[in-house]
Amino acid sequence: MRRRPGIGGLQNAAAARDQYRALGQNVAQIRTDLMKEQLATFKSQLEDFARKHKNDIRKNPAFRSQFHDMCTKVGVDPLASNKGFWAELLGIGDFYYELGVQIVDICLATRPHNGGLINLQELCNLLRRRRKNDREAVSEDDCLRAISKLKVLGNGFEVISVGKRKLVRSVPTELNKDHNEILELAQSQGFVTVDEVERRLSWTSGRAIDALDTLLDEGLAMIDDGHKDGIRRYWFPCVSSISTLVGADT
Amino acid sequence: MQKLGDYKLPQFFNYPPYFTLQPVRDTREKQIQLWKELILDYCRTQKIFVIGLEEDFPLFSNPVIERSLSHEAREAFLSILVSDGRAEWLDKRHRKCLILWHRIQEWANIILNFVKENGLEDSVMTVEEIRSGIESRGTELHGIDRTILMRALKLLEQKGKLAIFKGTTADDEGVKFSI
Repeated sequence: MRRRPGIGGLQNAAAARDQYRALGQNVAQIRTDLMKEQLATFKSQLEDFARKHKNDIRKNPAFRSQFHDMCTKVGVDPLASNKGFWAELLGIGDFYYELGVQIVDICLATRPHNGGLINLQELCNLLRRRRKNDREAVSEDDCLRAISKLKVLGNGFEVISVGKRKLVRSVPTELNKDHNEILELAQSQGFVTVDEVERRLSWTSGRAIDALDTLLDEGLAMIDDGHKDGIRRYWFPCVSSISTLVGADT
Repeated sequence: MQKLGDYKLPQFFNYPPYFTLQPVRDTREKQIQLWKELILDYCRTQKIFVIGLEEDFPLFSNPVIERSLSHEAREAFLSILVSDGRAEWLDKRHRKCLILWHRIQEWANIILNFVKENGLEDSVMTVEEIRSGIESRGTELHGIDRTILMRALKLLEQKGKLAIFKGTTADDEGVKFSI
């Protein structure tokens, strides 16, 4: 005859539950410990790695970029703070802060010419020219990283993609989609005409003129009435490589 | 880099919109600044004293990019130089412009140094001698524009450093230094 549930049965069940819980906790504990141990190992390996390849990281931009990728994957940000292990070990924080200051400098110096929008490539070239005494090479990736660190200073700096190129914006201008499309169109020749904008983007005349006028007012475009066909051209210093002219000799 | 004779032209000279007067104020100011520097620097190195607005001044057009400055733009750039004290209109219709890469006061100082270095403190010279004589050869005074030289000499006369003698013609005007 089957026993009916009594006080003994309840106690048994409770005891079993406790045991299961204890066991579960044990397993979880072991797993966490294991994980912690793995992470610690990994971190020390990463540190060893960084220590061992310190010079490569500092000197070789491609290597540096890969190292950053690796760090991002494991949730380590070597730039998060200038104090602490990474900065001390690599001096990498200083490197980017220095780049940041120089980038701000170049953007300000070229602003009268390009209206505060500069081709990333151009910026890198100017940066390299300025740092030519420095042994450490600078890649576009480094520029982007330094610019992303400038964001803590507010919304001043931003990287925008226009077509295949990246442009660095150092003025608080809001560029809308229309402006972006014009800039993209201008990349092939360095300039556009009203007619070209209307035709290639299938816009009305008013829309094209409106957008171009805004770009003029923002100092991002310059007019050119000198061509022999008499058609006004709108040039964009930020997409032409000519913009090296300022900052180099002033 | 494009060159004009042995003069190295700045990069903006190859960027077409710089040959059109810009409608937006900030952009135009930057444009004028660049042109001002270029005109002064070019005149200084090439020893050009007078720019004729209707003449073929080499800076006013760039055949490489097929652009040239409109009359309006030429006058605008030179007018700014005039208001900066670095140029003067020679006629009311603004067709000729005297370029002062040295201000008159600076030219006067150059004359004083020239006189001292050559021991001419109490001598008499003709104006032509100062411009093209042996003493001034190799100095900045050699080939100086007559108008500028006379202005500088008059400034020195006011300060009692010399006296200007009128001759029978402009050619034999002379000065007596008394420094």
